Amino acid sequence: MKFDVVIIGGGKSGTLAAYKLARAGKRCAVVSAGHCLGKTFRREFIALGGTFLNGDRVTGGNVEGGRVQYVRTENLGENTVLEAGHFILCTGKFFSRGLISTIANIYEPVFGCDVLYAQDRSEWTVDDFFAKQPFENFGLRVDDSSRVYVGGNVISNLYAAGEILAGEVDIEQSVEKVCRNII
Amino acid sequence: MQEHNISKGNFEQCLKCNICTQVCPMFEVNPHYPGPKQAGPDGERYRLKDPSFFDLTLKYCLNCKSCEVACPSGVKVGDIIQIARLKYGRQSNPLRDRMLASTDLVGTVASVLAPVANPILAFGPAKRVMDIFGVDHRRTFPKYSGEKFEQWFKKNAAPAQSRFKEHVAYFHGCYVNYNYPQLGKDFVKVMNACGYGVSLLEKERCCGVALISNGFGKQAAVQAAQNVDSIRKAGAPVLTTSSTCTFTIRDEYRNVLGLDCADMASTVELAVKWIYEKIASGKVNLRFRPDFHLKVVYHTACHMQKLGWALFSQELLKMIPGVELVVPEQHCCGIAGTFGFKKENYGYSQAIGQPLFDSLLAAGADAVATDCETCKWQIESGTGIPVLNPISILAMALLTD
Repeated sequence: MKFDVVIIGGGKSGTLAAYKLARAGKRCAVVSAGHCLGKTFRREFIALGGTFLNGDRVTGGNVEGGRVQYVRTENLGENTVLEAGHFILCTGKFFSRGLISTIANIYEPVFGCDVLYAQDRSEWTVDDFFAKQPFENFGLRVDDSSRVYVGGNVISNLYAAGEILAGEVDIEQSVEKVCRNII
Repeated sequence: MQEHNISKGNFEQCLKCNICTQVCPMFEVNPHYPGPKQAGPDGERYRLKDPSFFDLTLKYCLNCKSCEVACPSGVKVGDIIQIARLKYGRQSNPLRDRMLASTDLVGTVASVLAPVANPILAFGPAKRVMDIFGVDHRRTFPKYSGEKFEQWFKKNAAPAQSRFKEHVAYFHGCYVNYNYPQLGKDFVKVMNACGYGVSLLEKERCCGVALISNGFGKQAAVQAAQNVDSIRKAGAPVLTTSSTCTFTIRDEYRNVLGLDCADMASTVELAVKWIYEKIASGKVNLRFRPDFHLKVVYHTACHMQKLGWALFSQELLKMIPGVELVVPEQHCCGIAGTFGFKKENYGYSQAIGQPLFDSLLAAGADAVATDCETCKWQIESGTGIPVLNPISILAMALLTD
């Protein structure tokens, strides 16, 4: 199935990006692994004729020549893939499983994107419960156009927006930036 | 250290975020229902300690699985509730519940008696009697067909199927067999146009969804085992036209009834998915009438949402020139199979469905398309708009020589 843009994650940043891109005339699909905030943008996106895959999860993608060709989802199964010119990762951080933390490391489960985080596990947290925790700023490394890296190489049509980014994130600005690049 | 979750239905993963409660259609209209979080993972902790903690209000769960679709942590909230009901629940009206759940028996008898049964079931005073019995008088039973689909197929369609090289098997479900053989006829027409012959299963029983939701777990497991057996013997892809039958066979047999049948997920699928994929891969080419015009609003049935396949129905409909398709936001219709027929549930059923009726009426379409038969009854009675299965719309639009 072909789209202009496939947005992975249907939370705040995912639905906002979908809405903005649909308004600009792009044919978009959102794959949302769980219900989240962002109901208004979801409603408006669907009203604009957007495709919203509710309760589905991207299981992996095909990357060739530095570009994502397509992604697969759990529900669509083996025979149907989602192809697009651009892909946006909006899967958030740990609660929404955009990032997975194990005893040993932190990784991004769909594409294995490069994650910026402290290698020494003792630096993930600080003892003061009320203090800002270092892990809150862990996230994806992106280039100036918000494109992600896999194994040190930039993926030319895979962007990231929202909470999944490293550092202090302004969600609206991060979405706006990606949408500007795509439109 | 135990690193991975080992609890049944993943219930230890529940973080109490309450997103499931927020999307539960029953919780929205019924203050007596504690909501999926409390009925599912929270209650399970207590029930494991002592079964007397079982809460009778779990009967209000529609088994729509909206909670599971919404859960960001992968908790099988709906499954946990269904299993608890089968394990600890009891029927509030056993005779009525048995009658509503026994679709094969009632269907067979009513098909034979169709000329008498249909007017009686639609007759005012008879409805009052049903009301005393616990079936709401404002409900009308779907009409029973005099000739079962299986009979029609054997007599009229079966001989012509041998001219096709490749075949699919059809799990028609109770509704097609006893009430609405037309959908089965449409399916055969579409499959033949795709270049595939149709066969029936060696023995098909009701998928058992009504037995599960009415607490007859043992009977459901017996029928499930028979169906799994027949499906394995089919030797061809098994296609369906009902999202709920499909969902029950694929997921509920394994997750709720505990059958060892993971292979069903790759054997059984909805015809719309199969046809879409054949067309998309260039293996099938359908020709449509140039004069066909229909404005259609698509309703995503809850189990269709859980399967995640509404996209296939929608994309197929979009392929028909002359179809104008509107897709509103998903909302439960409220009937949940036999649930909405029960007198004590009618009010909740209608209250849940009202926002959906409003949005479907607002679309101003000629027809509603949906993949679920009980949604069809509810939407037709709630809006007056005719409701068609996408396969029937395909059949109507096909160009036949």
